[in-house]
Amino acid sequence: MEGEIRLEELCKRFDDVTAVDGIDLEMPPGEFFTLLGPSGCGKTTTLRMIAGFERPTSGRILLDGTDVARVPPHQRNVNTVFQSYALFPHLDVAKNVAFGLKYHKLSKEERAERVGEALELVSMADFARRKADQLSGGQQQRVALARALVLRPRVLLLDEPLGALDAQLRKNLQVELKTLQTEVGITFIFVTHDQSEALTMSDRIAVMDRGRVEQAASPKEIYEEPETVFVADFLGVSNLLSATAVGQDGGASTVRVGDRTLRALQGATGARGDVKVMIRPERIEIEPHSNTGEDRMPGMVERSVFLGGAYEVHVRVLGGELLKAMVPNDGGVAAAALEPGAAVSLHLPPDAVRVLRTSEPAVEAEGEQPDATKVADG
Amino acid sequence: MGSRWTWRLVALPGVVWLSVFFLLAFYVVLAVAFGNQDTLSQPVPHWNPLDWNVGYVLDTLKNFWHGGPFLKVSLRTVEFVAIAVALSLLIGYPVAYFAARHAGRWKGAILLALIVPLWINYLMRMLAWVNLLAPDGIGSDVLHGLGIEKLFLTLGLLDEPGGWLNGQPTTVILALVYGYIPFFILPLFVAIDRIDRRHIEAARDLGASARSAFFRVTLPLSLPGILAGCVLIALPMFGDYYTADLVSASTQTNMIGNQIDELMRQGSEKVTGAALTLFLSLFLLGLMFYYLRTTRRAGTTAQTT
Amino acid sequence: MSWLRNPWGRPRFLMLITGGYILWSVVPVLLAIAFAFNNGRSRTTWQGFSTRWFTGETGSVLHDSALRDALGHTLLLAVICVAVATPLGVALALGLQRWRGRGSGTVNTLMLLPLVTPEIVMGVALLLLFLRLFGGIGLGTDAQAIGQVTFTLSYVVVIVRGRLVSIGPEYEEAAADLGAPRRDQFSRVMLPLLAPAIVASAAVAFAISIDDFVVTQYLSSDASTTTVSMLLYSSARGAPTPALNAIATVNLVITLATLTFAYLVYRRFAGREEATSIATLEV
Repeated sequence: MEGEIRLEELCKRFDDVTAVDGIDLEMPPGEFFTLLGPSGCGKTTTLRMIAGFERPTSGRILLDGTDVARVPPHQRNVNTVFQSYALFPHLDVAKNVAFGLKYHKLSKEERAERVGEALELVSMADFARRKADQLSGGQQQRVALARALVLRPRVLLLDEPLGALDAQLRKNLQVELKTLQTEVGITFIFVTHDQSEALTMSDRIAVMDRGRVEQAASPKEIYEEPETVFVADFLGVSNLLSATAVGQDGGASTVRVGDRTLRALQGATGARGDVKVMIRPERIEIEPHSNTGEDRMPGMVERSVFLGGAYEVHVRVLGGELLKAMVPNDGGVAAAALEPGAAVSLHLPPDAVRVLRTSEPAVEAEGEQPDATKVADG
Repeated sequence: MGSRWTWRLVALPGVVWLSVFFLLAFYVVLAVAFGNQDTLSQPVPHWNPLDWNVGYVLDTLKNFWHGGPFLKVSLRTVEFVAIAVALSLLIGYPVAYFAARHAGRWKGAILLALIVPLWINYLMRMLAWVNLLAPDGIGSDVLHGLGIEKLFLTLGLLDEPGGWLNGQPTTVILALVYGYIPFFILPLFVAIDRIDRRHIEAARDLGASARSAFFRVTLPLSLPGILAGCVLIALPMFGDYYTADLVSASTQTNMIGNQIDELMRQGSEKVTGAALTLFLSLFLLGLMFYYLRTTRRAGTTAQTT
Repeated sequence: MSWLRNPWGRPRFLMLITGGYILWSVVPVLLAIAFAFNNGRSRTTWQGFSTRWFTGETGSVLHDSALRDALGHTLLLAVICVAVATPLGVALALGLQRWRGRGSGTVNTLMLLPLVTPEIVMGVALLLLFLRLFGGIGLGTDAQAIGQVTFTLSYVVVIVRGRLVSIGPEYEEAAADLGAPRRDQFSRVMLPLLAPAIVASAAVAFAISIDDFVVTQYLSSDASTTTVSMLLYSSARGAPTPALNAIATVNLVITLATLTFAYLVYRRFAGREEATSIATLEV
């Protein structure tokens, strides 16, 4: 049982709206693959095409090598967990789970056994006789999972299944889902707009915007090495600065931000002209105002937001932009001393500074050009 | 999901039925109106539009044009309907408003009381009144006793004591109100009930008095419901004949519906009857489409899943 | 909510009007029902309690052939009407709801038109249809049934469609996803979920059919095609006995029972708000 999905030039148009604009994606078997993006980006439409509820306008959907784009949903070995769970209200839990088994040529005993197994898997065995509308959100979600998994599909599609749950429940279920996937071993394709959810659970993420795939890579890569401004901005704080790339010095790109010069070792170091540079908050080092060496920008603290485990310090730099730095709450005096109005110096280490082109090329293949150099020290 | 044609095919029987027994039936009206009469005074429809004979239709039109009986009846109908609708609004709005806004724990019971008349046989309700208003009826006595009869006599709304059923326009109009007002109140109730209370709370919060909040928030928001209700009862009223027939002994109170009824079922002038029906329909077409446009169900919600 | 308690303020005045209206609306009918139990022949003077007009030896609903036949014919038409209008209406509702592309707006309007057409127009049109085009069928029971189906159809469609909208497409998709072919999506999922609406719309069609007058009268042929409504209309001028009240009462009881049934069925399966919209005939 493989469970590999390949999308080739997949396109979906509704009248004059293009929901999915010719995407290519490879979803390896057995992985937890997430489609991430804001609403309207096409992720749900893509999922529905894989499930079979939408017919692609053009392109291919290859399930283990076979194009299933025109195969009706009930004939695909792919199952879905819906956002609203869609448990049949007129059936109890056990009958819900058993629903699809009718088409699998099993004896009554085998059916009962499989249903029992599936309910055990999601810890809902005690609820077998309950009616679907008597369950809480989290419970319904589990039953929906069981209902899909009992059919042993090659791929499981999940359409924002945790969207309707409260924060604490979500966190718990995220862990449960991930564990489940590892245990069962089949491919999960997960749709969400919540970037922290995507980062936590996925083996791979495809970030989508306006019908196109911006970048597809591992969570770490997506976060630390975003290829476009959109991806950088969508996941975490990006601290984007407008800059002009003026040259290259060894492996590092030299950029001018206002009247300051910074060096960047990441990203499109070969670019020239108008670019954006980004640095993640946790990589910015806040230093006393007197430190004025290389790779530093002066600024003034506007506000320090206490987040429990850390402080998010908002610093207004000379060019007018606001950078957010993350300072761990380690009990040290320094962190607490960052009052509004304090003058500081921000150290932006070149290996944490990333150059992004402003014309946002949409990356369609998931491979990216390896950086020319990854010098450890700038 | 599903091919384009599956669902159209499913809908087909219903569409065919309506096309035949509604659209086609209406075409027959056209064909008869623009047709002829045979020697037995039975209508001979002209099916082919090119064959249409405008004679009878023109005659009917002339009747209107020259102030003939048709015109009188039509004007009377408009008068009756206008007054009846106005009265329905006058009585109905406060009731609907009260039920929707101030009923409190009696809301269910009041709603029930509003719903039930809707489903009682219209004729039974009318007959109940006929019974009461008969010269020896309880209603007649009560009205006399309460002095209402005297009031109506003085105002010229009643010709003679106890003569409620002797062809009084007043009676017909009041009967129309009685008959159709439930169809007005209920949708209006729903419309007012649906107005989000928070709008009113906001208005109050911003300084409006209760009266002001009503006139500046509730009333405007319920206006669509009012209009819809008026149209909803005006339409059947324009075609009504049985009400006037039951509560009035005289043809002096005939409405256009009575005229058509006479021509179609009692007289032998079906062609003219068809022509009149045609005119009535054209007259009402505007109202009908207006109503369809403004109610929720008129719009199609294309399901794009 | 102190602004509600104006002494002699709006609410009290409104309360009076509402109370007055309800009395005005209901009392005449209650009196009519009361007189159905009158011991004597009068419909205006109380002569004691009796059920003679319902079940008595002569002149009662049960024993007077004219009355009994009218009631029977009314019920017959209602049954035929429901039997034809319900499947037709359910199919039309389904088809309309899922119609893709052009034409759905027109069909939708076509479906709604009978609801806003004055009955006399429909009566005349159908009369002429059965006189001059479908002379083979002619007037009578068949024509009456056909006429009734034609406008009750719209009520069925509106009710079923409302339920379809609130059900949404997800359950069928889930069924398909789990392997159910088209037919099973419908029979195992859609139908059970639609059942309350189908039952409720059948009941509404029944109630409407029973109380219909104009179309039924226009398409009648002879005395055997008389319904209760027609009887009420024609007898009003004569010197009717309380038997008329009695038959009207029977008719009323049947209608209200049917309506209550529809309401309860709907409420049990679909919730109170939807049930109330059925009863108020959200048209």
